[in-house]
Amino acid sequence: MSLVATRPGPGDSRPYAFPDIQRVSVAGGEVVAAHMPGQYLATAALLLDAGGARESAGREGTATVLAKCLEEGTTTRDSAAFALALEGLGAELSTSVDWDAFRVGVSVPVGLLPRAVALLAEATRTPRLDPADVARVRDDEVTALRMDWAQPGPRADAALRMDLFGAAERYGRPLHGDPTSVAAVTVEDVTAFHESWLKRPGVLLVAGDLSRLDLAELGAAAFAGTAGEPSAPAGPLGVPIAAGRRVLLVDRPGSVQSALRLGHRAPERSNPDYVAMTLVATVLGGAFTSRLNHLIREVKGYTYGIRADFAMTRRFGRFGISTSVQTAVTAPALTDTVGEVTRTRLDGVTEEELEVARTWRAGQLTVDMQTPGSIAGALATLVVHGLPDDYYATLRRSLLDATVAEVSAAAAKHLHPEGLTVVVEGDAAVIREELVAGGLGEVVDAEV
Amino acid sequence: MSAQPAPVAETGYPWPIETARLDNGLRVVVSEDHTAPVVCVNLWYDVGSRHEPAGQTGFAHLFEHLMFEGSVHVAKTEHMRLIQGSGGSLNATTNPDRTNYFETLPVEHLELGLWLEADRMGGLVPALTQETLDNQREVVKNERRQRYDNVPYGDAWLRLLPLLYPPGHPYHHATIGSMEDLNAASLDTFKAFHQQYYAPNNAVLTVAGDVTPAEVFALAEKYFGALESVSDIPPAPRGHITGAATEPVHETVTGKVPAPRVYLSHRTHPFGTAGYDAITVLATVLGSGRGSRLYQRLADGARIAQPDYIGAYGVDLAHAPAPLIVTATAKDGVDAEQLAAGVAEVLDSMATEPVTEAELERAKALLTTSWWRQMSTVGGRADTLSRYATQFGDATSAAYRLPQWQSVTAGDILDAARTLNPESRVTLTYLPDEGTDQ
Repeated sequence: MSLVATRPGPGDSRPYAFPDIQRVSVAGGEVVAAHMPGQYLATAALLLDAGGARESAGREGTATVLAKCLEEGTTTRDSAAFALALEGLGAELSTSVDWDAFRVGVSVPVGLLPRAVALLAEATRTPRLDPADVARVRDDEVTALRMDWAQPGPRADAALRMDLFGAAERYGRPLHGDPTSVAAVTVEDVTAFHESWLKRPGVLLVAGDLSRLDLAELGAAAFAGTAGEPSAPAGPLGVPIAAGRRVLLVDRPGSVQSALRLGHRAPERSNPDYVAMTLVATVLGGAFTSRLNHLIREVKGYTYGIRADFAMTRRFGRFGISTSVQTAVTAPALTDTVGEVTRTRLDGVTEEELEVARTWRAGQLTVDMQTPGSIAGALATLVVHGLPDDYYATLRRSLLDATVAEVSAAAAKHLHPEGLTVVVEGDAAVIREELVAGGLGEVVDAEV
Repeated sequence: MSAQPAPVAETGYPWPIETARLDNGLRVVVSEDHTAPVVCVNLWYDVGSRHEPAGQTGFAHLFEHLMFEGSVHVAKTEHMRLIQGSGGSLNATTNPDRTNYFETLPVEHLELGLWLEADRMGGLVPALTQETLDNQREVVKNERRQRYDNVPYGDAWLRLLPLLYPPGHPYHHATIGSMEDLNAASLDTFKAFHQQYYAPNNAVLTVAGDVTPAEVFALAEKYFGALESVSDIPPAPRGHITGAATEPVHETVTGKVPAPRVYLSHRTHPFGTAGYDAITVLATVLGSGRGSRLYQRLADGARIAQPDYIGAYGVDLAHAPAPLIVTATAKDGVDAEQLAAGVAEVLDSMATEPVTEAELERAKALLTTSWWRQMSTVGGRADTLSRYATQFGDATSAAYRLPQWQSVTAGDILDAARTLNPESRVTLTYLPDEGTDQ
């Protein structure tokens, strides 16, 4: 054998640096920018306090419909003219709505960014919102959601969310609404949402070669014609955990796989255990080498992949596991999955596992943050959660310094296998009996 | 506000490229860039599902899975643990043409990446066990269920290929393979597969990032230099097809789908040719973005298609005329016939209504942005260089693709469009099953 038998150790570590951040206050808003010298592409995004949490009950999906309406023309040009102007620069409007924010962004070769930002602002601040267009976009969105909800997963996600947060809480309903709530969205809902939340300045995020950009000019274009102050965020929701485990069965007749979603509530993003919790989830189900993937995919061959994470927003958190398994092994896959959560809570993590998790998460910062798009996303995290400019350097150190004791303590504190809601979307006629016999918890039919 | 026009690129690859060839035939490509302490190690093996004989469909892809299950000096699953443990991200993909493996790492772990790749290039067979094969076979079958069988319209690509390419053609079957063939896969077949194709002289190694060429060439020699070349790699099955198909083909599938959908498809030209560059720009004019003809005429104009489900794209295959796929999904109350007629009309318009200057500039601008997006990571750059070295024998030819797109004329698109005539068209239609709830 002609191979080198000994695994090489690492070379000298080279310093990691998040791009330099520049902040410029202009025209009532703030520009937060990251300098990426030599990048051909640049990204700009308006970050507005207009997330899904701002929507009214029964009208979930309003923000998403509005986001799509931004491309239906502006007060100065119709939709075809706007599309040609924007796409003629090679740009497409990327919009996103999450619980905390509404984002509208563009990525183009850096020399074209000023023209792209001007168009981005035109669409965001002065959309045409013609009632017929809004109604059509809303109807298209209902159809698109129906398409999406025909796939395995969305109904299971909705059942889990509803069970964890309750129907009365906005967070208990899907982030982008469901076909029924979007169908109920009116033209007035959309125009009112725009009036209330998209005319405030917000923050312009810029990532690219700043030596070729004038941030004040970009900010002036982004904030022109805006008014209003940022509103103070509401407090965290708390972490109620169910007294016993329940299995919610969502019927999908004829399904060859069962979509599994397990979860419980968790603390919000600002919790001091954030880093330790991230590492718990990494060891349990965040990496290919995680406990869950190892057992359920590599040892048992039940699935193509399985993931666990803590999703944490400004006001709430949730622990979740997500996978799809072949129908015949639904019950044993669930038993094994819950077993790994229990083991992690009781026994904590090992140094060997943690070493992988911490260097992976820290190294990921270097590896992932290469593109203007990913850097703009990182800037959005800083702004939404009020984090300092040196946050990513600090985060990297905190990840590398985390100890087995700290991470195991976080597992004991923040994992609740007995309080899990277990959602199974699959062929009920085939799997019900086995789920009942499996004894993971009371089996209840979920209407979604 | 600045008002300069969209810049025309003189090169799509402004970073340095150095190449070398080891005595055993391994081609090594290095692209230096010191802006961040990261590096990508990327390997292309010139073997894909086009090499699979009848009865062994899905083997190239299943083999890709086995490459993560250990080799002589690397224990089962250790590969993933070591890469992730050093902060890296990794993956591998198989398509009809080739199989690629890649990891992006903090640069101090470059040697680890090279060592792991060399170990599985030269030392996989002794570590391959029946248990590993059985387990990964189940994983792949679940991948097939999850990605193709359990998803509305998920099997469209699986259905299009046999309609586009005749039996026996290397692109006739899909890379994921059939359940029957996967069930029949034997350990010896895989051992032979590795010995046949996973040879240094059948691969390209590209390293892009915070490195110097001299350093990489020396490390490549250290880890790969002693691997033996394979002298009798069989030539790939012949993919040559003269001309377009001569009669239209229709297939209709009734199943659990939420709305009627159509796919119109043609064999065009191999990726890398001037003809395919014209198809790439044509597809962008036709179906990419809200300014595209399909969007403007079917989503915005006639309003028979759902705006989020319109598309036209080429599948970048290099060893035979590559497919162009045009698709749309019906809005409520629109039937499949009306939709198919509408899509066909817009596709046919490419041959009767020459593209305007604005349409052409829009398409080129979108392609330019997508090119630079691909180039914005060391991983994107390394994969591109491996592709051009593997498929065209010259990594530096990657620099020409963007200028070639930008030089496509309205006349070139008209010429390309005239070959997409209805007589050579494949039409795949999905209809909702009456029994499903709508």
